[in-house]
Amino acid sequence: MKPLLVIGLGNPLMGDEGIGWHVAERLSADPRLPAGAKVICGGTDLLRYADRIEESRRVIVVDALRDDAEPGSVWSFEAPGEPSGAGEPSGAGAPVFGSDADIACQQVSSRLPGLDNRQDNAHCLSAVQAIQLLRLTVPVPITLLGISIPSASVQTGLSPELASHLPAILDRVLQELG
Amino acid sequence: MSKIVIDHLARVEGHGGITVEIEGDTVGSVHFDVFEGARLLEPLVRGKRFDEVAPVLSRICAICSVAHTLTSLKATENAFAVRVSPQTELLRELLFRGESIESHALHLFLLAVPDYLNYPSAIALSADKPAVVLLGLRLKKLGNLIQETIGGRAIHPVNAVPGGFGKAPAIEQLIELRSALMQGVTDSDAAMDLMTTLPQADFCHCDTVYAALRTPSQDSYYAGDEVMAVSDGSRAIVHASDYKTLTNERATPHSHAKHSTFRDKPIMVGALARLTVNPRRLIGKLAVAKKRLKLQLPADNPMDNNKAQALELINDVERALEIIEQLLRAGVKDEPPVPVQPRAATGTAITEAPRGLLIHSYTYDAEGRITAADVITPTALNAASMEMHFRKAVEQSAERDDATLSRKLQMIARAYDPCVSCSVHLLRRQ
Repeated sequence: MKPLLVIGLGNPLMGDEGIGWHVAERLSADPRLPAGAKVICGGTDLLRYADRIEESRRVIVVDALRDDAEPGSVWSFEAPGEPSGAGEPSGAGAPVFGSDADIACQQVSSRLPGLDNRQDNAHCLSAVQAIQLLRLTVPVPITLLGISIPSASVQTGLSPELASHLPAILDRVLQELG
Repeated sequence: MSKIVIDHLARVEGHGGITVEIEGDTVGSVHFDVFEGARLLEPLVRGKRFDEVAPVLSRICAICSVAHTLTSLKATENAFAVRVSPQTELLRELLFRGESIESHALHLFLLAVPDYLNYPSAIALSADKPAVVLLGLRLKKLGNLIQETIGGRAIHPVNAVPGGFGKAPAIEQLIELRSALMQGVTDSDAAMDLMTTLPQADFCHCDTVYAALRTPSQDSYYAGDEVMAVSDGSRAIVHASDYKTLTNERATPHSHAKHSTFRDKPIMVGALARLTVNPRRLIGKLAVAKKRLKLQLPADNPMDNNKAQALELINDVERALEIIEQLLRAGVKDEPPVPVQPRAATGTAITEAPRGLLIHSYTYDAEGRITAADVITPTALNAASMEMHFRKAVEQSAERDDATLSRKLQMIARAYDPCVSCSVHLLRRQ
């Protein structure tokens, strides 16, 4: 059977922005990780892992989320399902991606509800845009877990505030892995 | 007075934004706010041992992690007078080619082409023209494959270490890469076909100073220690150890970056600069492609950087194939890295990252620990030139409405392929 795959996005040199990377690093050494699940500390470019995603039965992407919510809140956006409103915290899961590759082109042409989809980076695509493009070629269900962060600045570790939520965030990701 | 403000180039508010003030027919201040994390990273490596530096600094940017890793290693090896083997030089050049293919494919297909065709994003473009986006994704994947095979990991190449390589690729892996690159030849030709169909983008014209690594023989992203600056027929050479002459590091109040000028003129680095400084690579298929693109060198239009990247895509695929053939002919030896003997010294390295000159300069103590580090990225080098071209574009534009000017400025900014807060990758709720 194809494996489950967890990809933690973020830059560990950019403080809380690296939360996905830190989650992946912790998770890869966590004895509760289901057998056969694979974990990648993924940097900031999700498209690099197109091959790995294609070889998986389901993918969980963990990335930092800039919003006004309580730091450490986990917001779930997942496929399959019909587009709806903003994501729900802690796993209620607003479905936002089409799961059927045949309708991917139509799906990707619309804005992704709940998450900002502007092409506002001159250098690479956001996780949201990358997932939408991957839908063109990879019919693998992808769940995006956005973690609310209080800040993003040059430093190697997480802020004490976010670090205190790391165990709960790990529990939430493991819950997602079933 | 009117003001054009574009604040969405970066994912962190206030960084990578463009602000242009216009008073009647006169353009006032022009600001490009670069978030340049690289210079803030020195404290993260101060006190680190020489073999711990590259893994940290490779994380500055996920797209350019190979360039940061290999430039870091080159600076360290220069400090300790380490000469790597010809096989290591070839493998490093191959890594650079992989990164360039990936980065150019990402930039051209997913960021620049949507601009030319009036789509707000690659996602919107994929709905109407999925083949274009899929072509870009295929080329990007090829670049990834080269980096992963040679570097040992998708990002942050663990195989590249001071003095050489931890583990050389197996012959079977190189043969697999060769097959993928054969498809890459077809795809890069298709990319060129696409580029020739794009509408012309002429937003400003002005004399530009171009600066790029001057390579001793074959064009290279990695070899060489001299930069050549070319301006209106005149040329100047700057050695790596004198890099501050080139960068000039003019601090500006509106930016975290050091704005760079050479002899008081802004410099442009990147693909267009590379082709201007090293035109000898434009032979055969590339000469024909250059003609099809109607590219004149030296160019006076910054949008031509996109054409130069398309030419480099073809060249990178061809050169990667040549390197693999060379490695297969010679056989890949399982050679240990050259031993490194630390000493108190300073080492500077200049390479060509996909978006232009990248400089790492370190000072080590006798135990091989960093006492000072300087990292200057292509985007920092380009910042002053970008502002110059923004100003010219507004001055030379017959239309003065905000929407038209904003579009022109954003397209110029993206043509530079800037790395604005590239190390940050936040999601944002609407």
